[in-house]
Amino acid sequence: MDNVIEILLILVSTIFVTNFVLARFLGICPFLGVSAKIETSIGMGMAVVFVITLAALCSWLIEKFVLVPFDIVYLRTIVFILVIATLVQFVEMVIRKTSPALYNALGIFLPLITTNCAVLGVALLVVQKEMDFFPMLFFAVGASVGFTVALLLMAGIREQIVHARIPKVLQGTPISLVTAGLMALAFLGFAGLVKM
Amino acid sequence: MARLIIILTLFCLVAAAALAKVDDITKGPIAEQERLKTVTALKAVLPAFNNDIDKDAKDLVVGQDKKGRDIKIKFYTGKMDENQVGTAFQVIAPDGYAGDISILMGVGPDGKVSGIEIISHKETPGLGNKIQKAEWKNQFKGRSIDDGTKLAVKKDGGEIDQFSGATISPRAVVNAVKRGLEIYEKEYGNGG
Amino acid sequence: MADREIMSSEIADVQPISPPSTLNLKEVAGDFVRGLWEEIPLFRLVLGMCPTLAVTTSATNGVGMGIATAFVLTSSNIMISILRKIIPDMIRIPAFIIVIASFVTITDLMMAAFTPELHHSLGIFIPLIVVNCIVLARAEAFASKNTIIRSAADGIGMGIGFTLVLILLGSTREILGNGTWFDLPVLTGIMGLFNYEYQPMIVMILPPGAFIGLGLFVAMANMIEERRKGKK
Repeated sequence: MDNVIEILLILVSTIFVTNFVLARFLGICPFLGVSAKIETSIGMGMAVVFVITLAALCSWLIEKFVLVPFDIVYLRTIVFILVIATLVQFVEMVIRKTSPALYNALGIFLPLITTNCAVLGVALLVVQKEMDFFPMLFFAVGASVGFTVALLLMAGIREQIVHARIPKVLQGTPISLVTAGLMALAFLGFAGLVKM
Repeated sequence: MARLIIILTLFCLVAAAALAKVDDITKGPIAEQERLKTVTALKAVLPAFNNDIDKDAKDLVVGQDKKGRDIKIKFYTGKMDENQVGTAFQVIAPDGYAGDISILMGVGPDGKVSGIEIISHKETPGLGNKIQKAEWKNQFKGRSIDDGTKLAVKKDGGEIDQFSGATISPRAVVNAVKRGLEIYEKEYGNGG
Repeated sequence: MADREIMSSEIADVQPISPPSTLNLKEVAGDFVRGLWEEIPLFRLVLGMCPTLAVTTSATNGVGMGIATAFVLTSSNIMISILRKIIPDMIRIPAFIIVIASFVTITDLMMAAFTPELHHSLGIFIPLIVVNCIVLARAEAFASKNTIIRSAADGIGMGIGFTLVLILLGSTREILGNGTWFDLPVLTGIMGLFNYEYQPMIVMILPPGAFIGLGLFVAMANMIEERRKGKK
């Protein structure tokens, strides 16, 4: 039972209390770029959950069984980013085969998952915090689900904003950023909910 | 295809070699910075000392955690010309508002706190993070385990200030210091 | 879908390729200046936001991150420009990543060794420079297609532009949210003269302040650009 509670705490904390987009500022570029429509956001979100979880897993294993034993921790950044790039290529191929519509909708943002700071960010955090295997797994899942939640919320809002009259200088990026700010303000309400 | 892989591998090897060299150059300075950080914190919590304090440090087991693993704490002993001036060690407050607060506390040979330093925390800026202010930390100087219920935040009937709107952070620190004094009493006190 | 179009086209922006032997100073100056306004990162080029929002809690952090990024940007631009004829097209992205990641690691290690406080404040965002879209975008769009000198100018220009934005945002958040500027008690000091204790707008230091602050700055930049275009 203890373990279940620990897992729930990790999930709540990564999805709400320190949401990776709205509190940790990871994954902003795709967050602003893809969130124009809810449909694409769902697809992007699922791709990101898959990539982040796998990336965290591989990075954790490499750190534990290669980097530390051989004392080459300084190679961490290079190795992690190359692993991520490879994973994204792989996911790209899978999506292209299984859902060409989604592949076209995501466009350039699919390969850009490689430069999504959230992916490398989560990989670095799990090794820096020296997590055990299962907490690491759920941390990664929670982080990426949190990203997806933020993405979906933003998409929902942006689909509505399109119908509003926005001053020209605020159109596009500025209003999205301000919206994100208000969302971040709302999520601040979760602070202190879970002590992680 | 093979040519591409070979070129990429070559790239990786050159990069790895260059980075190995930089790592070599920076290893020393990085370790030194770590050491300096520790010594600076120790200077803040202990009275003046002139020994090689980090070399004289001892790891002691102070209990077991929930999973039955040993909890080890490093005790730093500060000496001025062979006279012991104090012992410093780290305690962690797990009940901070936003997570663990890591505290370095110094205790004199008389069992009284000589100072505390907040090593790391995630408390809210402007609210909980006021625990880092010197005036607040100084309230702990001279406190000992004999203070009993006086060593608590004012809300809990003690003498330590809390901040309006941020009682949790100070309370966590006070409880951690209390625990630290109990640990010190057990290891170095009249019984030990 | 206007946003996506702007961002994709700016990422794929192709600069004219100059003959390798001529050193056209006017061109080089142009490359340098471009990064300072016309295509200033963040305000006009919508890239590199993650580190910006996270790191600008103080002006000092902004400067530190700006210089670190500028160093990585310029070094990788130069290196990639040097190697541009050798790197096969198919594997250019992984090759760029290796170069950029190497310079990021060098920066990370150097900062840990010689500027430990800054290294601690910037934390995870130093290694994250490797995925700062600005760096990869300039490598792909410019450095891989132009001479070393022009690539260096481009890197330095963009680097300085990025740093200026970080300082601007960092200063605003620090002054409003903490009353200080580069750790000097500016607002607190001035108001202290009038015997008034400045109560900082803490929200500026917290995430909402970052988002809203940057949003308003981008809007201002848009406004200035509209006026400029209107005058022409």
